[in-house]
Amino acid sequence: MANIELVELTKHYKQGKTVVRALDGVTLSITAGEFVSVVGRSGSGKTTLLDLVGLLLRPTSGRVVIDGVDTSTLKDGQRADTRGQRLGFIFQEYNLLPALNVMENVLLPLRYVKSRVGDGKARARELLEVVGLTERIRHRPDELSGGEQQRVAIARSLINRPALVLGDEPTGAVDSQTSMELLALMRKMNQEENVTFMIVSHDLELASRADRMIRLKDGRVISDEPLTQPREAEPAVAG
Amino acid sequence: MEIFRNLARRKLRSVLTISGIVIGIFALTTMGAMAEHFNALIDGGVKYFGSSIQVGAPDGQQGSLLPLSKVDEVKKVDGVAAAFPGYSFSAKPGDVATVSFNVPDQIVAGDPGEDRYSVLQITAARGSKLPETRGDVVLGSSMANEFKKNVGDSISLPVRPRDAKPDFVNHPFKVVGILNPTRTAPDNFAYITIPDGQMLLKDSLPAAIRDRIDVSTITMSITAYGKPGTPLSELDRIADRINRQVPGIKALRPSDLVNSFKSGGAIFTAITTGAAVLALVVGGLSVVNTMIMAVTERFREIGLKKAVGAHTYHVLREYLAEAVLIGFLGGAIGYLAGLGLTTLLNTLGKSSNFELFLVTPALTALALGFAVALGALAGVIPALRAARLDPVTALRTTN
Repeated sequence: MANIELVELTKHYKQGKTVVRALDGVTLSITAGEFVSVVGRSGSGKTTLLDLVGLLLRPTSGRVVIDGVDTSTLKDGQRADTRGQRLGFIFQEYNLLPALNVMENVLLPLRYVKSRVGDGKARARELLEVVGLTERIRHRPDELSGGEQQRVAIARSLINRPALVLGDEPTGAVDSQTSMELLALMRKMNQEENVTFMIVSHDLELASRADRMIRLKDGRVISDEPLTQPREAEPAVAG
Repeated sequence: MEIFRNLARRKLRSVLTISGIVIGIFALTTMGAMAEHFNALIDGGVKYFGSSIQVGAPDGQQGSLLPLSKVDEVKKVDGVAAAFPGYSFSAKPGDVATVSFNVPDQIVAGDPGEDRYSVLQITAARGSKLPETRGDVVLGSSMANEFKKNVGDSISLPVRPRDAKPDFVNHPFKVVGILNPTRTAPDNFAYITIPDGQMLLKDSLPAAIRDRIDVSTITMSITAYGKPGTPLSELDRIADRINRQVPGIKALRPSDLVNSFKSGGAIFTAITTGAAVLALVVGGLSVVNTMIMAVTERFREIGLKKAVGAHTYHVLREYLAEAVLIGFLGGAIGYLAGLGLTTLLNTLGKSSNFELFLVTPALTALALGFAVALGALAGVIPALRAARLDPVTALRTTN
């Protein structure tokens, strides 16, 4: 069963008198538990696609359906609630709050939504153990390496047991070895938590390790291929 | 905790912003304390003069000496419930007059029975409330502090000036009571009996006529009272009747005196308002500036919070809380600094009857409440700006 459906999704921007078709009639189905990569050149519309699926933007037309709920009818507050309860985000620049320590950053999403995870701190400890940061829960982001910060961001994206985690160039700010470690970690979470991952990347090497690769060009899907034998990601280094 | 850490991350800016509010609230506290002190004096005057009728010599007469018989004549006027003679003298003759927010020290002689009619009630902190026998004196709290006197001590009144002439006369009095502070005129009074008052009156008369006047038949003023609770307008009418029916005196209309006191208070209200405006402008602008910068610097944080489920009101609440905290911290420090300075100056001025400040619970609430409100008000616009940010725009901002 598909848990994400994109129906004729379109996003147009106005730049002066010119209309930019960032996304132009994208229709996709993503099944629960899939690990999907979205690739394309700069300006192909992949980040816009991610923002629309993440309910950070409203489409010009078309629908985003998450677990059977048509999000186009939701008001801003309901979209915020859906983001908080059903979605997780990983950004290229980690976006950790500098005033919070590791544990507090992981717990941040639970501050704004009704918790469905019971004991949030226990869940956070569990996730931090998986990402190998148990010993650093009191550290601030500026005391961590880039890879460690992104591990915190991965743990944060999963704290609310989301249906879908969206990654916008999640390995774009780290070296290639760390990139592979992070990917392995995300795959592990994808399998163990049965969470759908949708990762935008310009790195074909990384994208080819997904279950499925979607290519975008000029706001349209030009290919959507299952990767029948995705290459094994290198194991995550914990601790 | 996150708010404190955010403030700590930008230490210099936080300190400068809080300093702006500290200065404003410090000004508000010190100026307000001065106004409170002055208003307490005025309130006492309004209470006293708004419940009695002051009778003195008619206009144009040099000095204020009235035949004691006038007291009985005043008593007969319709509406007058009681009338009492009164004597008052400077406790420190020859003292150089300076600008002061205090009542000058005075020696006051009156009828103990007047206490039953006076709205301005005095109470004894130690010993007696009023002197009963000749040679006794009851000191107001400020006078007792100024001259470091306690019950059982002796004090010579009037106080001999340093450059007194050889013929200067004063008399030893035994302190039989110290009054509780009233924050108004009685704090600076030394109460003596009427015979002692007449004795001081005689001392004060020019030598050429001193022995020819029987001071036991003279009073310096008369205070008349209506029945307890008589309204001000009725007291005015009684004053008018006294003027019509009793020749050779002048009864002042209580409302004229009350209005005179109140207009004096308006100046200090203006000073307090000025301090408040200063606090508003200096502190408010610094908070606005800091919060706008904080919002601008933290666009991505705001974007992230919205991405993970924060509603507009969550962000608004967080930034408002930060602004309110800045206001409160600045207010608390400014208030404590103001309280410290006013307490220090009052302590230093105690011995010279120069207490200028009165920090009341109302002023404390005003200073702290004002600081918090200022922080909240100044934080509203930046917080709204933060809360309304589009998450995508905020997330993609390059700081």
